[in-house]
Amino acid sequence: MSNAPTIRDAVQARLAKRHRAEQRFQFYGLAAISAAVLFLAVLLGSLIIQSVPAFTAHKLVLDVDIRPEIADPRGDASEASLRRGSYNTLIQNSLWAQFPEAGSVSEMRELFGLYSAVNAARLLNEVVNNPDVLGETIRFTLPISDDADLYLKGLTTEEEFLPGAAPLSLAPAADGGVILRSRTGAPVFDGFLDLVQARLDAALAQARRRAEQTAAQAAEELDTDTRNSLEAEAQRARDLVRALEMARSDTAPVQLNSQTASLMLRAQGGVLRISQLQQDGRSAQGDWLIGPDHASDSAETWSLWVIETPSIARRITDRQIVWARTLKERGLIRNGLNTTLFTNADSREPELAGVAGALAGSILTMIVTMLLAVPIGVGAAIYLEEFAPKNRLTDFIEVNINNLAAVPSIVFGLLGLAVFINLFGMPRSAPLVGGMVLALMTLPTVIISARAALKAVPPSIREAALGVGASRTQAVFHHVLPLAMPGILTGSIIGLAQALGETAPLLMIGMVAFIADPPTLGLSGFTEPATVMPVQIYIWSSSAERAFEARTAAAILALLTLLVSFNAVAIYLRRRFERRW
Amino acid sequence: MQSSLFAVLALLVLTAVGFLIGRRRAVAAANGRASWLHSLPNYYGYYLALWTGLPAFILLALYGLFGASLVNTLALGELEREAAPLIREYEAQLARDPEYQALAEETLQIEAEALSARNEMFRAEREGGDAERYLRALGTLTAQRNEIAAERQARRDRVAVSVAARAPHTVPGVRARAGFEYWRAPSERRELFISDARALAFNEGLASRNTEEIRAAALALRPWEDLFRWSAAGVALALAVGGLAFARTRIRAGFRARDRVEGVIGLALMMTSAIAILTTLGIVFSLLFESIRFFASIDWRIHEFLFGLHWSPQIAIRADQVGQSGAFGAVPLFAGTALITLIAMLVAAPIGLMAAIYLSEYASPRLRAWAKPALEILAGVPTVVYGFFALLTVGPFLRQVAMMLGYEDAVTQSALSAGLVMGVMIIPFVSSLSDDVINAVPQALRDGSYAMGATKSETVRHVVFPAALPGIVGALLLAVSRAVGETMIVVMAAGQGANLTANPLESVTTITVQIVMLLTGDQEFDSPKTLSAFALGLVLFIMTLILNIIALRVVQRFRERYE
Repeated sequence: MSNAPTIRDAVQARLAKRHRAEQRFQFYGLAAISAAVLFLAVLLGSLIIQSVPAFTAHKLVLDVDIRPEIADPRGDASEASLRRGSYNTLIQNSLWAQFPEAGSVSEMRELFGLYSAVNAARLLNEVVNNPDVLGETIRFTLPISDDADLYLKGLTTEEEFLPGAAPLSLAPAADGGVILRSRTGAPVFDGFLDLVQARLDAALAQARRRAEQTAAQAAEELDTDTRNSLEAEAQRARDLVRALEMARSDTAPVQLNSQTASLMLRAQGGVLRISQLQQDGRSAQGDWLIGPDHASDSAETWSLWVIETPSIARRITDRQIVWARTLKERGLIRNGLNTTLFTNADSREPELAGVAGALAGSILTMIVTMLLAVPIGVGAAIYLEEFAPKNRLTDFIEVNINNLAAVPSIVFGLLGLAVFINLFGMPRSAPLVGGMVLALMTLPTVIISARAALKAVPPSIREAALGVGASRTQAVFHHVLPLAMPGILTGSIIGLAQALGETAPLLMIGMVAFIADPPTLGLSGFTEPATVMPVQIYIWSSSAERAFEARTAAAILALLTLLVSFNAVAIYLRRRFERRW
Repeated sequence: MQSSLFAVLALLVLTAVGFLIGRRRAVAAANGRASWLHSLPNYYGYYLALWTGLPAFILLALYGLFGASLVNTLALGELEREAAPLIREYEAQLARDPEYQALAEETLQIEAEALSARNEMFRAEREGGDAERYLRALGTLTAQRNEIAAERQARRDRVAVSVAARAPHTVPGVRARAGFEYWRAPSERRELFISDARALAFNEGLASRNTEEIRAAALALRPWEDLFRWSAAGVALALAVGGLAFARTRIRAGFRARDRVEGVIGLALMMTSAIAILTTLGIVFSLLFESIRFFASIDWRIHEFLFGLHWSPQIAIRADQVGQSGAFGAVPLFAGTALITLIAMLVAAPIGLMAAIYLSEYASPRLRAWAKPALEILAGVPTVVYGFFALLTVGPFLRQVAMMLGYEDAVTQSALSAGLVMGVMIIPFVSSLSDDVINAVPQALRDGSYAMGATKSETVRHVVFPAALPGIVGALLLAVSRAVGETMIVVMAAGQGANLTANPLESVTTITVQIVMLLTGDQEFDSPKTLSAFALGLVLFIMTLILNIIALRVVQRFRERYE
């Protein structure tokens, strides 16, 4: 009796512990689900954020003078003559007219680097289709280069605009540049000077470390190629250290170069690039990138334009930045919806690349997959579920199908390469072969889901049909199959969605090639080289150009939209037509 | 194209006509009373249509599959025979060329040296010697051999040019030159040659070159193609008409047309299910066949492939480089695969399992209505998307974290980022399989446990979980098999260096990555480098096959226990 309360106490204590354990367990479960949902949210969120820059694009709107002597070398306005015209020259002339200061060959190259010469082909087609424009000025819209586009979106380059502190005086320098002096003696360039020096110090420390590290790695590396590349990198780092050490000084004028931030000065309606700064921060030297609209030896109002990212760390030059921004201010570069992304096929130039070709390839491939996988899969399911005798062969087929469903997809690609391409000599990269490989891969999914749907039809249906004199085939095709159809369709659509997102087997059969022309959406398209959406995503994601990053994310969103709509159709079918017995 | 389209249309019309004739004849045979017939009148129509269309369409399909390659073989064989004198002359000149023979001997010598270096390397690996030295020596030897091979090729090309120049510029001369060029070309150049010739002959796309030889080959292709095309169409039509006439005579009132038609349908259904077996056979045989060619090219040292520690398939540039180039020791790939799979399972197993338990035992219907579709979306995201996510979001993030923690050598493409993201990919797979398994545990077991006063979590841990364990193990094995075979995530996020390391922050490579690396881009089919991909594929297939069979067995046993 005396120890009864202690037992109860012990039980109470244990119970509390057990309840805490219960709560902990529940918490783990909830945490697991939250983790999964969180991953999904991060995945989708990061994709959406990454894709945003791809949906808009800056376009250059130029008034192009179609000069007959350039567009029509033979002068007869015939198509043959028009096709020999130099249309890029026309665009170049039009752009050059905006910036007559660009004189040297290298400056011209920078200027014309603002767009891709591929655009001239479109102008050619426009003129060939409508030869009346010869001798006239037409408005031509073309996407600007991806680097300029990213710059204008503020993604690759950090810059800052500062108002001028005190009036400046401008004097011509001996070498053709301009010498700027603070008229009041205030150190107007001081802030920028500090920035440059701090940057230089940081860059110097980093370059030294890098040189040491790569040299040490190279000494340990066995593979000759890797070692050579490491040694080359160490050498580059050492060169950089030397260049930086020369630039870093406390007394000599600071030279601005590709390693430092760039400084532009806007005055008198033009833009000056500063090339040299005195240590006192009161005077500088530069030259005009865009000439002033009125010549004067002083500037009361002016502003500084600090491009903090050094030009070596960006793919767009100082001049191109100034030109691009000026064009934008003049209203010749406009930001708009990026329709290219959905109307063009792949291109080496990110600004001209689109998913239309891959989409066509995906459609063709899916048609082949559907035409093969669904009838064969449903047929096999009907045979196994309704006709097959129960014997070892049938068991073997069943084990086979279950196993095929779990075979890695890349193995199907190897099969396609060895059998379809090398043995049967079918064309590489063709939607026909891709569709066949994907059909083999989806087949188990279709069979398994179709069997489940057939199994769900109650035996009474079959018995009733047989009872009124139908043959087994009639019972299956007239009664069981129509009732199982919603389930079969749902399973088939889910299988096709899986095939639509599959990449690895298609890499094996060469659908990874760069294809600039979309396949024709017709019978001949099935054997033309093509690529599909997921492979396009893979190709873009391994491209070096930064602009492809956003386009890849946008292509992924397009693919996910397709997949979600496929699955939504499947769910709708299931909800709408499925019968529970 | 036109003629085959015409043949197909004619066949379709004939088949339809057959159907109508069969139906009408059956009704006529029963004197207009359909009920006297054994089968419904339509079945007689189907019967006749099958006899009309089926054999003819099978013939046309065979022609479509094999016609082009048959034409190519016949036409180019003809050209090669005409080139026989040139070929003899070419071989005789090469045999007389002392420098060429010297080069050939040098190649043999270098190959012997490479062989011994490989043996030494493998021994050093086993006994802990300086394997690196031999690997380096092997690289030098391979480079030397490539140089000599290039020289030999150049010499051969010179001889070939001089021999070909002797053929006159007449039609037979050009034909002989075309045959000679085709005979000399390695297999992938042959394909190009044929496709160019076909492009010129039949306007199939654009030819990459347009030389005299290719035009000659195109001219040689045309008569064969015409012959086959017209004879295929003719024979198909004859078969259709013959089938129609024959089957028509068999129609009587008591003829069991339905049985015949249903027999054909049954046969067709059986053949569709045989495709599953054919696929498996195709996989096994194609992998085995190419793997055997690979092992033959490395002198049957399979143990070296399976247990060698160095993986550096040299880039074979020419077809002559058959033999031992580079090192094919696949252990780094197996280790990389194992490391990434381990990381993935460490993520997926606890999260997937706990999610399944929570969803089936605790969650309110509302939560389930939200969480289940979320998991399904996670399962439906294509792997290339996960790869992109791992490459651009997770990889840089992990690298920064590692750098912050003071690990300086962190790389973006690491085993950890690939493994983590792969784990996320597998979560829904684990959770849906375990969900099925947990739901299959009978409610009576749970009720018994509750009756004893156990809490829910105690019931799950001590009753449901042990009961479901075999099924859960099966589910996890299937998940492992999936992780082993997953390709795109590792291709994009795990890197390509064949490092033998257990450090998850370094980049490793896996079996699937190497298969993709070896088989994408330009390759010729006969080099050991390309063939090794099939050997890797075979290993992958066997590994996943074993995992799948064990897992499916375990799951099936488990289901049977509670059904």
